[in-house]
Amino acid sequence: MIQGALAGLAAGGLYAVLGVCLTLMSRLVRVVNFSQAATGMFGAFCAVWLVTHAGLPIWLGSVIGVLIGGLLSAAIGWIAATWLSEADTTTRSAMTVGPLLLLISLSFILFGNKPQPFAPIIAGPAFSVGGVVISQVTIATVGLAVVVAIGVHFLLARTRIGTRLRALSERPTTAELIGIRSRPLSIAVWFATGLVSAIVIIIIAPSQSNDATSLSMLIVPAAASALLGGFRRLDLTVIGGLVLGMLSGLVAQIGQVSAVRNFLPFLFIVVLLLWSQRKEVWDAAR
Amino acid sequence: MPLAENRWVRAGWPLLVGVAAIVVGYALSVGLNGYFVFLAVSAVTAAIAILGLGVVTGSAGMIALCQLTFAAIGAWVVAGLNIIHAPGGFIVWLVIGAAAAGVAGVLVGLPALRLRGVNLAVVTLGFAAAADVTLVQIQFPGSADGIGIDRPGAFQNDRSYFFFSIIVLVVCALAVFYLQRSRIGSSWKSVAFSERGTAAAGQSVQSAKLTAFAVSAALGGVSGGLLAGQVGLPLASSFSPLQSLALYVLAIMSGAHLIDMAVFGGILWVLVPELLKRWGVPQDWGFVIFGVLGVQALTSGTNLGQGIRNLIWRRQGRRHATAHPAETIPESALEGIADPVTTTTVATAKGAPTGPAVLTVEGLTVQFGALKALDDVSVEVPAGSIMGLIGPNGAGKSTFVDAISGFLRGHGGRVLLDGHDLAGLSPTRRARLGLRRTFQQDRVPPALTIDAYARFVARRRLDAEDVESTLAFFGCPPAHTRLSSVDVGTRRLVEVAANVLARPRVLLLDEPAAGLSHEEHLALATRIRELPERFGISVVIIEHDLDLVRSVCPRLTVLDFGRVLASGPQEDVLADPAVMKAYMGETEML
Repeated sequence: MIQGALAGLAAGGLYAVLGVCLTLMSRLVRVVNFSQAATGMFGAFCAVWLVTHAGLPIWLGSVIGVLIGGLLSAAIGWIAATWLSEADTTTRSAMTVGPLLLLISLSFILFGNKPQPFAPIIAGPAFSVGGVVISQVTIATVGLAVVVAIGVHFLLARTRIGTRLRALSERPTTAELIGIRSRPLSIAVWFATGLVSAIVIIIIAPSQSNDATSLSMLIVPAAASALLGGFRRLDLTVIGGLVLGMLSGLVAQIGQVSAVRNFLPFLFIVVLLLWSQRKEVWDAAR
Repeated sequence: MPLAENRWVRAGWPLLVGVAAIVVGYALSVGLNGYFVFLAVSAVTAAIAILGLGVVTGSAGMIALCQLTFAAIGAWVVAGLNIIHAPGGFIVWLVIGAAAAGVAGVLVGLPALRLRGVNLAVVTLGFAAAADVTLVQIQFPGSADGIGIDRPGAFQNDRSYFFFSIIVLVVCALAVFYLQRSRIGSSWKSVAFSERGTAAAGQSVQSAKLTAFAVSAALGGVSGGLLAGQVGLPLASSFSPLQSLALYVLAIMSGAHLIDMAVFGGILWVLVPELLKRWGVPQDWGFVIFGVLGVQALTSGTNLGQGIRNLIWRRQGRRHATAHPAETIPESALEGIADPVTTTTVATAKGAPTGPAVLTVEGLTVQFGALKALDDVSVEVPAGSIMGLIGPNGAGKSTFVDAISGFLRGHGGRVLLDGHDLAGLSPTRRARLGLRRTFQQDRVPPALTIDAYARFVARRRLDAEDVESTLAFFGCPPAHTRLSSVDVGTRRLVEVAANVLARPRVLLLDEPAAGLSHEEHLALATRIRELPERFGISVVIIEHDLDLVRSVCPRLTVLDFGRVLASGPQEDVLADPAVMKAYMGETEML
């Protein structure tokens, strides 16, 4: 039992990191970015290509791949900030379905539709607790989730940039009127979350099904974990990701219910949404 | 009478188009070469799936990213029934598959009763991803043993199967066309614009959303079933989430709520990859192109079909304008209406009616946290009367309307309509019982024509003459006008007219004159004054403008800080020093 749950912890950390990115995007730039995992996937695939075909060392390939992930995300952010700056969250989010489709198809063209030969950057067991081995990947993803969440929290609460970002997200027009330049700041948010997504996907990709669609569809469990925090709270998002990962690890151990495992993020999403929206009845206050 | 206004032509032309489409389909099935026939079936199946997206996304405005999952359910059911040799043959299986997909659509749509916008997108994408993985694991029935699906008797070969698929497409398109034109279709377009406005029209928001989901999913199921019959052995890879995303994007950019555009989308679905193949370009570029065009469509908020139509309408409008310069309301419609009076001292009907109360409010109390927005408000509206509800900003006027019309749960006190307690009834139920309201904000769905909107709000059978005369009475544009081409002030007039057509017991008008010019304002006042006598409606007007109130309302109730400051005949209330103080400030008393 515990072994299964802990085995799922690595995936849980991954969900948590992506979930934190989603939460951040939702809070700061009013978007649920459906291409969040896809930009990371594309960056990761570029890294693999650079290492296997261009002969770059793994670290250099990875750095370039992460940068590509960040730039792709920034490009989508540029579109959102330029043409949809006044649009509502739903329209902005729907727009990101386009890049999701585009990036998956483009990766089929450039890299084929087979899983990629990822060279693991981090591998091997870290330590074992009571006979259960914790892998280094688990430590890395969970650690990254916690570090990113705490880092973002301090950035937003304690720094000048954080104050500006919050002003921008809560009162965009007022913020612009007092001279905060919205476009560069919001594109920077897109860029930063793009970097983080690419990093975590490069870390985790060797140890899980890593074709373009599977990696891009990580957006679903990521959204599930972000929903636990209502797309606002970072701590709950991290917890949501870890719990979801451990739950699917648990369920994977029980042979008969493996179909349930597929539907776990979906059910997680439905239950959380219905719970969190239980009081909201109307689409407008008046 | 012009051909376009003949009732039979209006009701029957879609059937003629359908028959023509079947004839063309037959000609194509004979004339095309074998390879193109196969492609054409693919285009037809895609068109049916996009038709479904046009309902849920195009009309009802909900993001559904799992259309091909519903198709997979349809295909799965057809394949399963084929394995067990279920009676009835392919056509019956297709219908059962569609029904199964429709049920799945309702189940996935259930969260949509609470959710909207982007949350719903997350739910549907999650469903698509989960179903895809599961489908790869369990595969389609019969695929392991290579048992192909039996096509319907008369349509065994590819050519005749294409003809069959055209018939199915025509049936689906006609069904969607008539649904879109019906009150159900209006409810989809209304719920996309405003849930509150939909409920206030007596339409259940839940059933509007669920029917949209069910119809859309059922069409997905038909599409999947057809595809299963086309290929014989359906594969999970034909129904992947990626393709659902592509289909969504295609529906958005083509404007799939328009049937011709859904068909066009189906053709693009096949044409783009086929052209790429001919040019020796990898077919995956097709989805890259869709992705780029989709981003373009979503950022600009436009789509091809609507763009073309707007162009045509503008042309027609220009031609119409030159043919009939300055179209005005026919004089006959205005017979019996007094000229709008332009002074503010019009005497309202003296001796305000004091019949039995049609609306009784007893001790209405609404509390938001520590703030009492309404505190023990009691009001009676006699049958056939017009009551004005006035008060400064923040007095609780709009809260009063919201509470009475059922939008605020958990208020204290009672609301009685014709002596029946309305406690616990939803806004929809209250509207159906004859308690209607209008909104301060624009809640008139722009996707409808005035005629469709009036019929949707009225919820009863109306003659064209009824509609036209009531519209003319309020000085609205003619019934065939599209609401999207009408300014906000006029939309509010249309809202009032449509609610009058519903023949409610009580009509609550929440600042009906906002956004109107002074002349329109006065004209509206004279019309409202006639409502009780002409239509038997009691009216409550919430208004800032004392001119309008004075000229229309024999009885007034003044709210201030959530309490009733004064209530009674107009002249007494307006002479009340407390009212003067609240309204004008003390210095004005000099």
